[in-house]
Amino acid sequence: MRTTRPNKQISDFLARFKATINLNEKLIVEKKNRYYLLNKNLMTQLQEDFYHAGVYLGKTKRSRFFPSFTLLAMVARGRVNKIVVDRKTGWLFICGRDIFKRGILKTAGSMRKGDHALVVNQYGECLGFGVLLCNLHEERDTQKVVLKNISDIGDFLRRERKRI
Amino acid sequence: MSLMLSRDFFLDRYEELGWRFRKPEVKQSIRVNSANAEREEVIARLEAQGVRLNKISFLEEGYWVAKSKFSLGATPEYLLGLYSIQEAAAQIPVTLFSKIEGSHVLDACAAPGGKTVQLANLMKNTGVIVALDVKPRRLVALSNHLERCHVENTIVYMLDARKSSRLNMKFDRILLDVPCSGNFSTDSGWFSRRTINDVERHARLQRKILAEAVQILKADGEIVYSTCSLEPEENEFNVDWAVQTLDVELVDSDCYGEPAPTKIFGVELDGSIAKCKRIWPRLTQGFFVCKLRRKG
Repeated sequence: MRTTRPNKQISDFLARFKATINLNEKLIVEKKNRYYLLNKNLMTQLQEDFYHAGVYLGKTKRSRFFPSFTLLAMVARGRVNKIVVDRKTGWLFICGRDIFKRGILKTAGSMRKGDHALVVNQYGECLGFGVLLCNLHEERDTQKVVLKNISDIGDFLRRERKRI
Repeated sequence: MSLMLSRDFFLDRYEELGWRFRKPEVKQSIRVNSANAEREEVIARLEAQGVRLNKISFLEEGYWVAKSKFSLGATPEYLLGLYSIQEAAAQIPVTLFSKIEGSHVLDACAAPGGKTVQLANLMKNTGVIVALDVKPRRLVALSNHLERCHVENTIVYMLDARKSSRLNMKFDRILLDVPCSGNFSTDSGWFSRRTINDVERHARLQRKILAEAVQILKADGEIVYSTCSLEPEENEFNVDWAVQTLDVELVDSDCYGEPAPTKIFGVELDGSIAKCKRIWPRLTQGFFVCKLRRKG
């Protein structure tokens, strides 16, 4: 376990969404390439050999950062690239599908090709994220896939299946 | 022992305890994670999808699932941590703690984490929960559960509950939802697999966990002990042993269930055992729960 520098991994990752989030670096600990955000109370209780602690932020694997869904939910509350989708589109996204233009209710932030964007439902809850395949505002074809799914909360079920 | 003999053996014991076998109809139930959403909002969202829910009268955040055309373990609301699927009787133990907000809590046998999440909810993510389990696969499930439900106040260690004093910590509240032999109402093969030897093996393990927990309990601390076993060796006999041997006494468990018997198979137990609650399977699974505190 070690407390870590403002985890460049996390800030670099969030920059792809044009997101800024203030995480107190003194309260972030790393264990086996996994990052956790603690509060002061937890920090005083933490022992070296913990398995999980506080808020799981994500992990790095082969120098790539994989965010947790809790981190994405925290980011979704602020200013960030995001698209709001209807219920059916949200459901298909959770099942691992990409997003068609017709399922998008509204957008916020930069929507240019190659940008990353969070996918949120009509309640503002984060369902995951993906990468834009076109300049969204210039795309007229509603039947076209505009966002490629990278990660979605259906992963909780897929992880369980993997364990079985 | 053949299946019929095993079944008769256990059912005879239940009759001696005052319960005659009736096929239980254990209903699915959910618990709203109030830390993540308003209860009414979650219910309204599920009902808008055609799910019919009925409030469980003895639980503040629990609902019976009366009708659902799809699995409630795969909805967006579930994956967002707005509710958990948790058997009704299993929702009871955590509700027995008093003044839990801001306290230092041990969940000694935590995985897969349903009760850990419930604790975090009741604590409003304040204080500290230390959650233990021993099996790596179960720790993965626990960790996933904490992430899904956005729990913030928990530290998980891979540690056997029988060795929890190695943490060098004292706790205000300790949840002992101990490993047990289970019961037939949620396990159709139970009678063919279980013998009295299993029951006794679990009872020995549970006593060790109880004894260890008392050592790390603060002076005004509380322990909630629960099992999903119907066997008195794992329940009344173990608690009677704890009351006689360890520095703890029983406190009334103000919850669903019937008072535990104080005379079992001809053995007279401490009268305070009636403060424990025994839940025979019907709408819920079979369950046993009690609350202990330090003497004096």
